[in-house]
Amino acid sequence: MTIRATIAAAALLAAVSLPAWATDYTMTASADFSGPFADVMPNAMSGIETVAAWWNKDVGAKLGVKVNIKIYDMRYDAAVIARTWPTILSRDQPIMHLGFGSPDLTTLMTRLPNDKVPMLIGTAMVGMVWKPMGWHFSIRPTYSHEFAGLLDKLQKQRGGKLRIGAVSTQTAAGFVDQVKGVEKLAATYPDRFEVVDTQWVATSPVSMTSSIRAMLEKKPDVILVGGTTAQVTATASALEELNVKVPIITSTHNGLSEVAKGFDMKKMNGAYSAFSFAPDNQAKLPLRDIYEANKVGNGQWGIITAQSAAQALLAARVLEKAVAKVGKDKVTGQAMYDALLANKFTEQELLGVLPDLAFDNTAPFPVGAIKVKAQVVMDGKIQPLGDEWLPVPAFEKW
Amino acid sequence: MLPTGIQFSTYSGEAGILRTTRARIGVLLLIALALAVPWLSGPYLVGIGTQMFISLIAVYGLHVTVGMAGQINIAQSAFVGVGAFAAAKCSGLGLPFWAVLPISAVATGLVSVLFALPAARVKGFYLALTTLAAQVLFPIVILGAPQEWLGGLVGLAVEPPSIAGYSLGAPTPFYYFTLGLVLLATCAIFNLHRSRFGRALKAVRDNDVAAEVMGIPVLRYKILAFFAGSLFAGVAGACMAWFVQFVTIESFTLFASVWYLGMLIVGGVGSPVGAILGVLFITTIQEGLHEVATTVMRSQSHAVGGAVFATTNIVLGVCILLALIFEPRGLAHRWSVLRTAFQIWPFPRQ
Repeated sequence: MTIRATIAAAALLAAVSLPAWATDYTMTASADFSGPFADVMPNAMSGIETVAAWWNKDVGAKLGVKVNIKIYDMRYDAAVIARTWPTILSRDQPIMHLGFGSPDLTTLMTRLPNDKVPMLIGTAMVGMVWKPMGWHFSIRPTYSHEFAGLLDKLQKQRGGKLRIGAVSTQTAAGFVDQVKGVEKLAATYPDRFEVVDTQWVATSPVSMTSSIRAMLEKKPDVILVGGTTAQVTATASALEELNVKVPIITSTHNGLSEVAKGFDMKKMNGAYSAFSFAPDNQAKLPLRDIYEANKVGNGQWGIITAQSAAQALLAARVLEKAVAKVGKDKVTGQAMYDALLANKFTEQELLGVLPDLAFDNTAPFPVGAIKVKAQVVMDGKIQPLGDEWLPVPAFEKW
Repeated sequence: MLPTGIQFSTYSGEAGILRTTRARIGVLLLIALALAVPWLSGPYLVGIGTQMFISLIAVYGLHVTVGMAGQINIAQSAFVGVGAFAAAKCSGLGLPFWAVLPISAVATGLVSVLFALPAARVKGFYLALTTLAAQVLFPIVILGAPQEWLGGLVGLAVEPPSIAGYSLGAPTPFYYFTLGLVLLATCAIFNLHRSRFGRALKAVRDNDVAAEVMGIPVLRYKILAFFAGSLFAGVAGACMAWFVQFVTIESFTLFASVWYLGMLIVGGVGSPVGAILGVLFITTIQEGLHEVATTVMRSQSHAVGGAVFATTNIVLGVCILLALIFEPRGLAHRWSVLRTAFQIWPFPRQ
């Protein structure tokens, strides 16, 4: 009897000490391996896959949950997304979609509420899809908010009214939207900011000397170039030809790291790049250490890798909150949506790559105190612009 | 050339599009296969099929303008865009799909007439440049119009069509919807070839001076060629709007116009079969290569996505080049040669 009881107890102990079966969930991701962003995709996807692998190992294993990342090449094409999305829904039943850029937004934003799958994108939001009750979200506010954070700092440094010149492209909706947002900022704070001139140029201009010369007559303190990398380099070349030094402000997709791939960065001295996540070269960045220790794929750590890693990390944190709320076996797209809106995510949870974040259903991006960071070129090298987050002055939808 | 033993006792029998029982059975099998696709495959192929049908309707339109009438048009994507925006606007006003479709088609046709007018004085490359103006003007006009009209920069959201309260927005119903439209368009385009209008277009294409001498009002037919071709573009645009459920100017680029023209040239400019084969060939190669690249990328962790997909573009270009080098008259001609050889077998083909 004693032996039988001992065996039964041992069996029971063995059974309870076995690791619980992990529940698998799929998050799908849009990539662009054959479109305009093909060259940065290995880095972007490596950021997502590495964070997922690390999270599965360090966090998911303890929760009994595993995230599978499934990448689809959407070619940055709305028609491809429209026809691929039904396949994703039926084949993968994702609990969240990690989107990329405006084609994902325009094609999916009306479908997501019906399909009950939230989408989280890593690229900055645009004002034209700033609508309430959506299921599309970004880890970043609008481009205009990001520029506003940096412009706010520069204005405070210089004092007086900051005169802003803008370069953009009229046929690209997102790029025009950036200018409109900054114009709204200037209209909200007329004593601090003024958009003195906007030059509408081609997407890939050969020369912008005449446009920049015209702009310089309005004496801008900074030139905002939120469009393409070609526009940034053409602006820098024009300033050099005209022998004038005016700081250029860029974003991430056309930012300093992109420009540095084929341009002498000494010509970019004093130029900025503004975005609402931590710079890849920030001195202390726990997420970078995790990436380097767990790297998946062919990517290299850089600004786009940091952005996509931040995107995947927030998605994983949302999953943690959803598991805590509904249990490890009952996570659905609805549970993820609820978890995203119901919780706050701290900078510590987000491993320093994002500031404290909170979402609600009034906007498709973080609400409350929006913060950004920036990089600057000094002596031909890209440096973080300080360690602190820069607050973004509040302004209404445009 | 027809096989020995096949003869016609009536003129209508000889003028028929499908003149033999074998041809009728073949087409019925093809339609049956198209109908069975949603059962035989997943939503991925259904999506590709839908997009292929939409492209085919647009390329049919190009076939009328370029293939039948010889008027070069490199703005088909802009005309598709006009149809898409018209459909989006009409759908937004609550009109049913059976009203939206003809309105979109006619609106597109009327817009195309503006750009057909220069055909009175220029042709060839010069006419191509005037159609290029349509492609350039399209986004400028959309952006210039008040945002509440056409959505401006933002674009317009589009509700999928519905029949008696049943939404066609899901992949399979919309596949059948576009399949139905393609079948109608195919009947129309094949019949156009043997109509008085179609013969007049071909006369204008072959020699406009001779056509004028024969009493064909050349200018009117050139304009009508643009109008008819754009009716198809308008229908394709409406379908595109319902498919993506959102329209923005960024979807209707010069690049897309070049692809439509490329499909027609590879397939064969002069025959509707060319439009079908061109769309089928380009889409199959494009999607096949893409699927291979995706598989390679997923299975080989060291494969760099950018390089893999760049290679697929090179392979696609080579495939198109080879198709044109070995069959400059288009795949339709190769199809015709094969069919003739099969029909007169075992006799040698000429």
